[in-house]
Amino acid sequence: MDGVLDYAPGTTIVHRLNPLVKIAFAFCVCVAAFLTESLPVLACLLAVGIAVGCAGGIPRRTVRLLATLVKVSIFLFVLQVLFIRSGTPVLLFVTDAGLRTATLVVMRLIVATMPLALMLALTPMNDLTNALVKIARLPYRYAFTLTTALRFIPVFAAEMRQIMEAQIARGVEFDTRNPLRKVSLVLPLCMPMLVGSVGRVQQSALAAEMRGFYLRGQDSGYRDYRFALADGAVLVLSVCLIAVGVVA
Amino acid sequence: MIVFEDVTFSYEGSSRKALDGVSLRVEEGDFLGIIGPSGAGKSTLAYAAAGAIPHSLHGDFYGSVRVAGRDTFEVDLTELAHTVGAVFQDIDAQMVASVVEDELAFGLENFGIPRDEGLARIEKTLAQVGIADLRAREVSSLSGGQKQKVALAAVLALRPRALVLDEPTGELDPQSSRQVFELLRELNEQGVTVVVIEQKIMLLGEFARHLAVMDSGRLSFYGETPSVLSRADDLKRLGVNVPRVATFSLGLRAKSMGSGRLCTSLDEAEALVREVIGVGADALDGPVASCGNAARAVEALLSTEKEVVA
Repeated sequence: MDGVLDYAPGTTIVHRLNPLVKIAFAFCVCVAAFLTESLPVLACLLAVGIAVGCAGGIPRRTVRLLATLVKVSIFLFVLQVLFIRSGTPVLLFVTDAGLRTATLVVMRLIVATMPLALMLALTPMNDLTNALVKIARLPYRYAFTLTTALRFIPVFAAEMRQIMEAQIARGVEFDTRNPLRKVSLVLPLCMPMLVGSVGRVQQSALAAEMRGFYLRGQDSGYRDYRFALADGAVLVLSVCLIAVGVVA
Repeated sequence: MIVFEDVTFSYEGSSRKALDGVSLRVEEGDFLGIIGPSGAGKSTLAYAAAGAIPHSLHGDFYGSVRVAGRDTFEVDLTELAHTVGAVFQDIDAQMVASVVEDELAFGLENFGIPRDEGLARIEKTLAQVGIADLRAREVSSLSGGQKQKVALAAVLALRPRALVLDEPTGELDPQSSRQVFELLRELNEQGVTVVVIEQKIMLLGEFARHLAVMDSGRLSFYGETPSVLSRADDLKRLGVNVPRVATFSLGLRAKSMGSGRLCTSLDEAEALVREVIGVGADALDGPVASCGNAARAVEALLSTEKEVVA
C-alpha cells in the first residue's frame, strides 16, 4: 500500500469536500457493502469508488489500489472456495455456493477498503485532524494520534524498503520469488524496525511538544470547515447508498 | 541565556555518561558552534539545552541547566518552547503535518498566534528560508534537505529567543548549507541566540562566534572561534579537522609571514595573502608574475579552496 495513502494534492471537487463528509461517505459505502447480498450492487459500489478516484484526479493510483486489493483478495478467495462445501459441485470440490460466497466476501473487502483509502489520499492529514477536532469535537490528542499513525505508514514502508535494498546489495535474496523464503528473510528485520519506529515516534512526540502540542484547544486550527452544497449532496448520496444496501 | 552547571547525564539503561561534568555558559545573542567526533555527547547537549532532557528523554541527571534564568527541571517543555526552538537530527521525526504550510501552522496555532499574523509569519518565514515554492507540497514528497529547511522554518515561525539546531545542514548541498548559515547569522544579528551542532567545520569557523569542542561527554575546549581553531593539533587528536583556511593561516604564522592572525573565511585568507605578498587588490586582478612563485602558489591554493567551497 506504500504510496497509495500519500496525500495527492489537487483542487478537484473531492479535494474541496469537507473532510468529515469524505469520511462519512467512505463509512457509508463500507456499511452498504456489508449490508447488501447482491453482487450487482457491490459492482455498482465498486464503480462509485472508482468514480471517486477519477473525480479526485488520481485514476492511476485508483487502479493501482484496486490491483493491490485484488492481489490480497486472491488468497482470501481461494480459502473461501476451498472451505465452503455447501451447494452444487461445479468443478471437483468447488461448489457454486462456495464461488458465490467467496466472490461476495472479496467484493465486500475491496468495496469497503477502496473509498476509505481514496479519501485518505485526497485529504491532507491536518485537515482531517482539525475537522475531527473542530466539528466532531474529538479530543485533539486522539485525532493527532490517529493521523500520525496514518502518516507514519509510508515513512516506515520507505525505511523497510531501504533496509531491504541494502540487504539485496549485500547479497541477501530479498528479490526471491518464493514467498515463504521472503517472509523468513523479512521477519528478522521486523524487530529492529519496530524498535526504531518507537524511537522515531518518541522523537516526533518531542517535536510536537516543543511546538506547543499540549496548548492546543478545540478551536486552535486556522482553517474553518464549513459545509457547502456539495457536502450536502454527498451526504444525501451516502444515505441513499445505505438504503440501497438495505433493500438489495 | 543557556547555562550548564556541572551537568552529568546517562541515558536510561546505560551506564555510559553521555555528558560528563559539562559546564558551559551561552550568553544571550551568542552564536555557538559545537563540534566533536561521533558519540561525543553533542546531541545530548542539544537535548539538554532544549529541555528534552530531563522531560522527554530520561536517565540519571546531575547538575543543572538554566534557560533564560529558569531551571529546565522546573519548567515544562511547552513553556520552554516559548524561549527555545529546537530542530534535532532525525528530520522525518520532526515533521508533524503532511503539508508544508500545515507544518509551519502547527506551532503557531498551538501557541494561539492570531490567524492573520500566523499566516503572515508563515509567508515571511518560508521566503526567509527560501522555500516559498514548497508551501503546498506534501512533506513526504520532499528531499532530506528540503525537509531540513521546513523543520527550521517551522521553528523560526515561532520567533524563539534561542535556537538549538542539531546538524541543520546534514542533508544540504554546500550552497544551501551556506544559505542556512547566512540566515542564522542574520537572525543572530537580530538578537537570536544560536547554538548549532555541525560537522561542517568550515561553516562553523566562519559563522560561529564561539566554539565548544566535545569529546567523550566532556567539554574539551571552549572559546572564541579563532582561539579554538588555532589549537589545530589538539583538535586533530580529537578527530576534528580544522578548516583549510585556518591551517593555511597557521602555516603562515609559523613562518612569521603576515600579521599572524587566524583566518576563518576565504575572504580573510585572501586579505592575508594580499598582505603577505605585499600587493593591493588591483595588482591581484591582473597577472601575478611580478609577485613571484610563492604568490602564485598561494593564489593557486586559494583558488583550490574556492573550488572546494563552490
